Amino acid sequence: MDDITTRLVSCFQTVFPGLPEKEVQNASQASVAAWDSVAAITLANVIEEEFGMQVDFDRLGELDSFQRVQEYLLEGTRAS
Amino acid sequence: MRITDALKILQLASADAPPYRVILACGFTPLHLQSFLAAHLQQVLADRRVTVIPGLYDDTAGALEGVEFGGADAVAIALEWSDLDPRLGFRSAGGWGTGALADIVSTARGALNRLAAAIERIASGIPVAVCLPTLPLPPVFHTPGWQSAEAELALEEMVIQAAARLSRMRGCSLVSASRLAEDSPAGGRFDLKSDLLTGLPYTVAHASAVGAALARLLSPPPPKKGLITDLDDTLWHGLVGEIGPHAVSWDLAGHSQLHGLYQKLLAALAGEGVLVGVASKNDPAAVTQVFEREDLLAPSRGIFPLEVHWNAKSGSVARILETWNIAADNVVFVDDSPMELAEVAAAHPGIECVLFPKNDYAAGYAMLRRLRDLFGKPRISAEDGLRLDSIRKSAAFQKAPVNGSGGEAFLERAEAVIGFDFRLSAEDPRVLELVNKTNQFNLNGVRRAEAEWRADLLRPGALLAVVSYQDRFGPLGKIAVIQGRQTGGTLTVQTWVMSCRAFSRRIEHQCLKMLFDRYAPSEIVFEFAATPKNGPLQDFFASLTGARPGGTFSLTRAQFEAECPPLYHQAIELHTSSKQWTTSQPA
Repeated sequence: MDDITTRLVSCFQTVFPGLPEKEVQNASQASVAAWDSVAAITLANVIEEEFGMQVDFDRLGELDSFQRVQEYLLEGTRAS
Repeated sequence: MRITDALKILQLASADAPPYRVILACGFTPLHLQSFLAAHLQQVLADRRVTVIPGLYDDTAGALEGVEFGGADAVAIALEWSDLDPRLGFRSAGGWGTGALADIVSTARGALNRLAAAIERIASGIPVAVCLPTLPLPPVFHTPGWQSAEAELALEEMVIQAAARLSRMRGCSLVSASRLAEDSPAGGRFDLKSDLLTGLPYTVAHASAVGAALARLLSPPPPKKGLITDLDDTLWHGLVGEIGPHAVSWDLAGHSQLHGLYQKLLAALAGEGVLVGVASKNDPAAVTQVFEREDLLAPSRGIFPLEVHWNAKSGSVARILETWNIAADNVVFVDDSPMELAEVAAAHPGIECVLFPKNDYAAGYAMLRRLRDLFGKPRISAEDGLRLDSIRKSAAFQKAPVNGSGGEAFLERAEAVIGFDFRLSAEDPRVLELVNKTNQFNLNGVRRAEAEWRADLLRPGALLAVVSYQDRFGPLGKIAVIQGRQTGGTLTVQTWVMSCRAFSRRIEHQCLKMLFDRYAPSEIVFEFAATPKNGPLQDFFASLTGARPGGTFSLTRAQFEAECPPLYHQAIELHTSSKQWTTSQPA
């Protein structure tokens, strides 16, 4: 696992403590019952704290799976 | 605190721990405020599993009116201006401007009255912590932002008046706006983007600060009970042994006002029931002369005991703690010498050591505030005013040999009267304070939340005895509490605490005698658990049963009477419809 993935897994485990580690990378709003709108905001804030960046809350609706969040972070890394 | 930290703290809470449920009422989406409040509470309530339940959004008054007793251990309220009128928030489309102001003020007054009434109802049964509006008002007024508008001041005035009314309620406490402003400066509180996109108007930092402030009100640190102070360059400026008793100073003229302020604080603390003693390496005669000065601001009559000699201060502190009969972790030691502080700290783990900063005014101001925080308490009880006097009397009592014939005669002549109040009332805050602050004579060390306590008193067969004591030396006030239940022929005691000020008077024996007399149980079951500090209670039980108990155990009347020493008190039942006087006979 690369550094971003490892740290992102940690963020998911903080917000969704009941999610088994092996399922984190396949997690999505559809598969995780606890991933509601409040959890989405909390996840965004925890990612902001972990990565020291601002999540664009206007795009929060798009960030509906681990994979999409990961892509969003990589996009930000490439842009900077 | 970061959100990540808050979530991790909550994850570490034991799932098996008894729950501590808090209702959070606020008009906005609580989001991180909920997490921060829960995390800050969880940190101090390590043996509980904290759950924060948000009330209805957008209807704080409705949420409060729906709170039912028994459903929560506490209620936290984060009010904002939009709770008084939605137009005072940023999510409403309602109009601003001069034409709307009179109506906004009028609406706000009605909303505030409704909120205050709902809070008053809840606070009569459950602890309530309130944070008044913390965010800046939106630009609805006609004045420029640097000028206060009449309507703005009218809104602030009505909030302050409502707050003053709430602060007089026993179960209600309010966050200090000025302290919150230090922890969360005004300019860093509001997050418009978060407000509009998520419904939470607070920045993360402000949500943490408000959560911490509410948690501190709901679960405050226990106030310290005693302060031991040094004298030279601490209580006063200068070394009395070198410059003489009339040259030491504590005033503006002597550039030593910081010592005067410290003396004034000690006088205030002593008046609130804090024990103040002296540990000083000094000449006793010179010190006595300073204490006779009329301009002394410290409470010379309220300081007891004085350990003034040239021996180690750790020994002085040990003797003072013994006289006060309290543990080191209930005490603050103030000295201008880091070396003396270190020596005392090493000998008395848990004691709070505070350096008196002689020439640093900023540090001096911080020290005064720290002492106020360490000793601050929500309310002053009648017992607080009796504490020092009863300590002095206890010291006299302890000097009498209780087991010898002289001690027996002393007890016999004490003219002791013990009052038992068996009303099942939860209205006296002193009762729960005794239960939750007493360590040495404590049946099991279990701390009780107010809501749980009230619920226990409502159960069938509930028993509560609040015990008061006085003798020819004066009153000690309410000094013991027994709580439990009667089922058939068995009396079960779940809570039994007695203030250490009441030791050596055989009050504990009289308590058991009263229970056997009044309820005539076949046995009394004690839900005992050993704690690191309840050795005195264990010794008492050992004196009756022959061994320290290992857990819950029972005691029969025959066992009790076989070991009970003579009792000389007059035992009275208080506040009963048929007041009976029962004079105990030696058992």
